[in-house]
Amino acid sequence: MLAYIGRRILGMIPTLFIVSVITFIIIQLPPGDFFTTRAIEAAMSGGGQDKETVKTMQERYGLDKPLYVQYWRWVSGFPRGDFGYSLEWNSPVLPIVLQRMGYTLQVGGLSLLFMVAVAIPIGIYSATHQYSFGDHALSLIGFLGLSLPGFLLALLWMFLGIIVLRIPVGGEISKGMADQPWNLAKILDYLNHLWPPAVILGLASTAQLQRIMRGNLLDVMGQQFITTARAKGLKEKKVVNKYGVRAAINPLISVMAMEIPKIISESTIVGIVMSVPTTGPLLLRALLTQDMYLAGTFLLFMTLLLMIANLLADIALAWADPRIVYT
Amino acid sequence: MHKRQISRREFLRLSALTAAGAVLAGCKQSATTTEPAKETVAAPPTEEAQPTAVPAVKYSEAPMLAGMGLPPVEERLPEKPLVVQPVESLGEYGGTWHRAFLGVADFHALGRLIYEAVLRWPRDPKDPIQPGLAESWEWSEDGKALTLYFRKGLKWSDGAPFTVDDVIFWWEDIENDTNITASRHIEWVVNGEPMQLEKIDDVTIKLKFAGPNGLAETTGLAFHGCQWPLGFERFGFFAPKHYLTKFHPKYTTGATYEQFEEKAFNFNTELPVMYAWKVSQWEAGATEMVAERNPYYWKVDPAGKQLPYIDRIHYALVESGDALNLKAIAGELDMQHRRISFSQYTVYQENAEAGNYHLLIWPTAQASTITLFPNQSYPDPKYRELLQNLKFRQALSLAIDRNMINEVSFLGQAIPRNTTVVRDSPLFQPDIEQYYAEYDTAKAQALLEEIGLKKGSDGFYQFSDGTTIELVIEGTDAVSGANMDALELVTQNWNDIGLKTVLETMSRDIYWPRANSNEVMIATWETDRGLVPMVDPIYQFPFDERSWMAPAFGTWYKSGGEKGEEPIPIFKEVQELYNQYKVTVDAAKQIEIGKQIVRKATENLFCIGTVGQPPSLVVVKNNFHNVMEKHTSDWIIFTPGTMDPPQFWIEQ
Repeated sequence: MLAYIGRRILGMIPTLFIVSVITFIIIQLPPGDFFTTRAIEAAMSGGGQDKETVKTMQERYGLDKPLYVQYWRWVSGFPRGDFGYSLEWNSPVLPIVLQRMGYTLQVGGLSLLFMVAVAIPIGIYSATHQYSFGDHALSLIGFLGLSLPGFLLALLWMFLGIIVLRIPVGGEISKGMADQPWNLAKILDYLNHLWPPAVILGLASTAQLQRIMRGNLLDVMGQQFITTARAKGLKEKKVVNKYGVRAAINPLISVMAMEIPKIISESTIVGIVMSVPTTGPLLLRALLTQDMYLAGTFLLFMTLLLMIANLLADIALAWADPRIVYT
Repeated sequence: MHKRQISRREFLRLSALTAAGAVLAGCKQSATTTEPAKETVAAPPTEEAQPTAVPAVKYSEAPMLAGMGLPPVEERLPEKPLVVQPVESLGEYGGTWHRAFLGVADFHALGRLIYEAVLRWPRDPKDPIQPGLAESWEWSEDGKALTLYFRKGLKWSDGAPFTVDDVIFWWEDIENDTNITASRHIEWVVNGEPMQLEKIDDVTIKLKFAGPNGLAETTGLAFHGCQWPLGFERFGFFAPKHYLTKFHPKYTTGATYEQFEEKAFNFNTELPVMYAWKVSQWEAGATEMVAERNPYYWKVDPAGKQLPYIDRIHYALVESGDALNLKAIAGELDMQHRRISFSQYTVYQENAEAGNYHLLIWPTAQASTITLFPNQSYPDPKYRELLQNLKFRQALSLAIDRNMINEVSFLGQAIPRNTTVVRDSPLFQPDIEQYYAEYDTAKAQALLEEIGLKKGSDGFYQFSDGTTIELVIEGTDAVSGANMDALELVTQNWNDIGLKTVLETMSRDIYWPRANSNEVMIATWETDRGLVPMVDPIYQFPFDERSWMAPAFGTWYKSGGEKGEEPIPIFKEVQELYNQYKVTVDAAKQIEIGKQIVRKATENLFCIGTVGQPPSLVVVKNNFHNVMEKHTSDWIIFTPGTMDPPQFWIEQ
């Protein structure tokens, strides 16, 4: 098992290398670079920078060099923990990325928890009460959740919060709370801003998981070992929870691993709409301003996150399902 | 109109409140004074107590500064602090000004509140230049030397004295160091000679030029005369020498220019500053920024209270303009103009009461919001000749239905007009505002016939060789959606009179270099700089490659004839006028020349305007005071910089 994990981790390195090359090339594809973009930006807000100024800056930060030189400057710093310099933020890239990854992990983790906590019980209920009113109602809600894109939900939530409920929504923390030291009220306020994006991110996947759980459980409940269990006189509760769910949950773990990329990509647009400090908004901004090292590092870390999540899912699967053995 | 009444009523209510507040002032003030009093009692040093005994106490400070171990306010202020006239009322100290911004690239969110130049743009654009860090200035007879008298006892925010050495440091080690500044700003180079500085004493400096310098006061000292580098704008006139030499490669071995730039940038929390609020909390990727009062700020109100009134500014980082507007609608911003979207006007109105704010409308100093630039230096000779014909340009202008554009794109709130300076500008001449701006397709076609154009069988006008004239308007949708609608209308209008026109839109990263390198036949952009256009007269005549009415001629002018193409006589005439403008030191004479330039530009339709002075929206909380109700907004005058943000105050 350990050897297996070790091999998987080693296998990540070439993947990351390829990803870094591809992302770097894609980021450089649009015409212009960070400084020409900024010169236009300045011109649009009324300012202006002449060609010479732009050229001086390009030379200073090496943007006039060929692509492979710029690429090498970036990757050669990795072993030292140097992921380049963000031109927009005037700062090394790594602290920015880590800070934002932290928040993204919080939101993403919470939304996974939400998915599990909501989808599995509902799935079980739907399967055991097939075609009942409750099953139909929950399926309807599930389909709604599945068909509404996350950003629309985010917009609806913003509208509801601001215009109807008049509560502070969006952002990381309320106005006025930011200056205060951390106390219970501030932590509550922080959590109060954390759950809406998590729920919105998790909703679509929850609906899907709930349907899968229902289908799986129905399949399992028709199998012979369940009939045997029933015939032996086990309580229905025990039949479902101990034998049925146990067998039905295995495929769910693989599906959840597949939901993680979705959460990551969804978090970009939800983050922008709700103005929460996930990686998304900064990544988009870095791409728009052609702040290439920042954008590249973000993409690299997101890939890494994805691969780790997949690995964890595989390990979880092996742990949950004794039939699976990795060698 | 409706809105203005509300705001006035609101206003009356507020002034009534303030009046009532005056009655309460006694107890309120005693409430505020108890705290510092306690602090002074708590702090054993007697420095604070003694001046109270001496009758000399005329200045007072904000309660938040008490007990911070600072020297008394009299010692922190210069000998003659600048007295700022409040817009309406004397303020109270305290409070946090909540704003929102989009991050480092949105530098103006801070930059416009920290307008502290050597001389100042006046609050009323028709007034002359006002004193700033320099209390007075004096020209030599021949206009070749300018002596600046800075206030005695000015201090940086860390308490270090501000002297003319900070100016000399900027000139020698920033402006003249090509590693930092690619080319010197043009106002400091006269007849090809950079200026010479002569230090007379710690607060007096003489600027010497090779010829009379008519740009020094305005462009040089009132606009660029701020603390270098003013964010990305990269201009200034002084910098904290005592701090920055530590990071300048010339003074410190091992220092790099990258590091120097980073330390000089306004978001560095250690940077000593001369403006009212200094960034005190910020790091890359953070979601908020805080700027706190500078205890050494050198301005007072008429009652002797050291400014600013407001303790700190809190910026929330939002990820999009929409999120910013949502915050404002929810009443979370105390006063903001930047990025408040006029298209959300009705939503703002509906939520004004619940959000406890009111709205102001400031017209923007845009001569025209959607301006067309027929390129008179276009490479194709046939089109060049056509576009150089004034009658042709007049026909183009007459064919545009400006009222329609105003209704479709601006809710009827802009002004249909041609491209000329805005009404508040000292250079404004009412008789040319509507020059060829009426909608008259018959007259337009008559003009086209007059210059010998004939329609072909397809109904479109042709060149004399029988080929159809095909005009190409190029634009970018990055400016705003409303502009695209307007451009579609213009295209339609021109096709309607028989001029075949197509509109091509592209990403700004492709468009901008194309337009600058003379590749676009008819470029489009918004023409701002409508208040003080001569600071950067790119829309008045071919000034540099950004003057899209003839980029090749502009390049010629900027490079002194080395690059580009020699302009046609009419442009040379206006360029010559600007040359005169540059060497005229007398402000009244300058205005006369400026007016001539504006008249020539408008009457020759160098650019074709559509609608101008579009409204911009300001959200002001009802307890936020001293914001001017009427103001023409422009970045060149740092709106709201000229109304002195340090005199804004928040009723607690």
